[in-house]
Amino acid sequence: MTARTNRRGFLATAGGAALVLVAVPGGLPTGVLPVGVAEAEALAGGATFEPNAFVRVERDGSVEVTVPKTELGQGVRTSLASLVAEELAVPLHVVRVRTADADPRYGNQATGGSSSVRTLFEPLRRAGATGRALLVRAAAQRWGVPDAECTAAGGGVRHPRRQPLPYGVLLADAAALDPAAVEVSLLPPERWRIIGRPQRRVDNADVLTGRARYGLDVTRPGGLVAVLARPPWLGAAPRSIDDTAALAVPHVVRVEALASGVAVLADDTASALRGRERLVVDWSGGEPAASSARWFEDLDAAVPPSPDGPAGTPFTASFRMPVLAHACMEPVNATAHVADDGTVRVWTATQSPEAVRRQAAELAGVDVSAVTVSVPLAGGGFGRRAETDVTEEAVRLSALVRRPVKVMWTRDDDMRHGSFRPASSHTLHAVLDERGVPVWRHHALATWPLTTAPVFGTPELVRAFGDRFGYDVPGAVDVRLIPSPLRTGFWRSVYAGQLVVAEEMFLTAVALHGGLDQVALRRDLLTGKPRLLTCLDAAAAEFGWGRRLPAGHAAGAACLDDYGSAVAVVAEVDCSGEQPRAVRVVVAVDVGVVVNPSGVRAQVDGAVSDAVSTAFGAQITVREGAVVQSSFRDYPWLRIDRAPVVDVVLVPSTADPGGVGELAYAPAAAAVAGAVHAATGRRPAGLPVVGAVG
Amino acid sequence: MRIRVNGDVRRVDAPGETPTLWALRDGLGVLGPKYGCGIGACGACTSLLDGRAFRPCSTPVTEIGDREITTVEGLSRDGSHPVQRAWAELDVPQCGYCQAGQMMSAVALLRRVPAPTDADVDEALRDNVCRCGTHSRIRAAVHRAARLQREERDR
Ligand code: FES
Ligand code: FES
Repeated sequence: MTARTNRRGFLATAGGAALVLVAVPGGLPTGVLPVGVAEAEALAGGATFEPNAFVRVERDGSVEVTVPKTELGQGVRTSLASLVAEELAVPLHVVRVRTADADPRYGNQATGGSSSVRTLFEPLRRAGATGRALLVRAAAQRWGVPDAECTAAGGGVRHPRRQPLPYGVLLADAAALDPAAVEVSLLPPERWRIIGRPQRRVDNADVLTGRARYGLDVTRPGGLVAVLARPPWLGAAPRSIDDTAALAVPHVVRVEALASGVAVLADDTASALRGRERLVVDWSGGEPAASSARWFEDLDAAVPPSPDGPAGTPFTASFRMPVLAHACMEPVNATAHVADDGTVRVWTATQSPEAVRRQAAELAGVDVSAVTVSVPLAGGGFGRRAETDVTEEAVRLSALVRRPVKVMWTRDDDMRHGSFRPASSHTLHAVLDERGVPVWRHHALATWPLTTAPVFGTPELVRAFGDRFGYDVPGAVDVRLIPSPLRTGFWRSVYAGQLVVAEEMFLTAVALHGGLDQVALRRDLLTGKPRLLTCLDAAAAEFGWGRRLPAGHAAGAACLDDYGSAVAVVAEVDCSGEQPRAVRVVVAVDVGVVVNPSGVRAQVDGAVSDAVSTAFGAQITVREGAVVQSSFRDYPWLRIDRAPVVDVVLVPSTADPGGVGELAYAPAAAAVAGAVHAATGRRPAGLPVVGAVG
Repeated sequence: MRIRVNGDVRRVDAPGETPTLWALRDGLGVLGPKYGCGIGACGACTSLLDGRAFRPCSTPVTEIGDREITTVEGLSRDGSHPVQRAWAELDVPQCGYCQAGQMMSAVALLRRVPAPTDADVDEALRDNVCRCGTHSRIRAAVHRAARLQREERDR
């Protein structure tokens, strides 16, 4: 007899009997239930139990949870699976997590807007609870006892006077029940064992051994790799293409012109890259003189005038916010196979699986039902993978060659040809009372629409996504949009990353101008915002606001109320050296009920990293028609040697879960910039605070 | 040409100037080392060459010779290497894409410096970009791994 243990902690023995180990965490006894194989088969009927599209229980008692959102590093496979596991009463480690293919059964699969946990907190718990209720009913019927005498825990159903029954033997019975016939109730928070306790990422074991599969790891039999030669300046198009040398490279099989560039297709990546080097393209047209310095002049000139305020002391400041690239660690990529049998398969770590499916169907001329979109892990997203540019390239190329094609953007493609966070120019006015406290405000700004999301082409939408002014100062935001000279798209926190940063930098400027305390000023103006006020007090207390800081150091504060959450940041910088440095960033968040504290902290760490990076130099500039930056050498993202200490305070809250992915970026950036202002006495011209903007 | 990877001798069928990263990934299916830039500017591909950190994306495969390449797959299959354990304990990864490179830089550091200071960590991992911002957990995990490694040696 041979024994086999699988990683879920269930022990099965091949031969005459099966031993099913029921792992019960947290106090309940661990039961080992001997079940004969024949008996188990008879009991289970060889079935699996799938009460809905999200939950599947297997005969060995293991559970598969399907998560309808894309893992971008925000931990959504862990947090969403936790919701199901909690209500199904199984430990998280027995759950295998699957990311859903694009499929209408899963509802809205777009990942963005810090919305995954917010929108799925109830539905996914309900999905798990339905499974639990049916399994409990199945056990209760077998025992001939009322449901209410039974409890589910540790992957089995228990009764005070019976041998527990593992889920694995209840599958057929549970599957035969009518879900409408059981009452589904959600566990009260005091019975939660997973939600609210730190859970490690479900993907860690794979990530840390190199087994995890990202989009670029997708390989298909007979597949080709494509890289594209892209326009060397904005808007250029090929006048002529000489592909002789490229095609002479061994393993290069095709060269194809697309609207976005000239694709070199090869059997492998190195050959495709070598082919691209040998490609001779004569480019023409476009904007060879484009310059981001000029764009900022245009933006400055387009800022609407400010109306006259009430009587009092006027105060004005202007800020510029830079163009930003997403620079996902894994450059965007997609693999597509438009097959001769009329089916289309796409593998891509997209934030918009349904849009990719529709797009692929349209491009390949097939019905949506013939298209399968599978979603591997993404090496970062930040909004970049909401777009369908790379999938369009992959599907078009595969349709031409009728083989699987993986399109890989190189790092310089990614840095130079992506969709960028728009630049903006802001002028803020306030009228101050005799104490220097603002009693009226006006925020005028000029920016660009999101060209990849045309619905964002109106000032109303910019305000809806960016105007988050939460202080008790009457006033208005006036947005003017001018045509974008670049492709632009969603970037972590979207327009709030511009408007909120400008407003908070302005408020700090007001405080410093009047010799007011930054935190006290904000406190006084947060009259109607109890959650925000609690966060601000928590951040200030944790930081030790008011204590003496070393020479050259100073602190800045900022707040934001968005995504159904609240956040306050206090940042300390050291401006005594050649380059300013973030020393410590304290972030207090109220994100409502916390599903995974480890995940929330990680998201805050990430937002702070973005904030410090963009405050201290990462920006995209354009000269002579081309993006200057091409890698992490000249897009100086934060490195470990400059990383501040980040202290995250989770403010206890029973509010419904709020969003966290984008939450801390804007206030953290503003707090860091405000701290530099306080340390140097010079008001930064915007972000980055060092060097010129644009 | 033959190269030694994670204890095996593997045949590579590619021109000598092929970057080792693509020889590993496309030729041998060793997918742990990641592509992040291809020019030695991000660290996502970081692996070990005879125990020292190197960047396969900017090392032609012909330069490997008979030195031994260790990728993240070569640390352990079951996650039992002290660095893998420390990374799991501290729940370091966000997207995870940079982490193989981060861990390999840490392994190389801990071979040279069994009890590194913060300054040692900065020095050794400064050229590994983490776009997601896992820096503080990485730092804690390196120190944790150093302890686990010492405990393992003392046993
Ligand atoms: S891919 Fe090798 S250093 Fe970036
Ligand atoms: S974890 Fe995503 S880049 Fe480091």
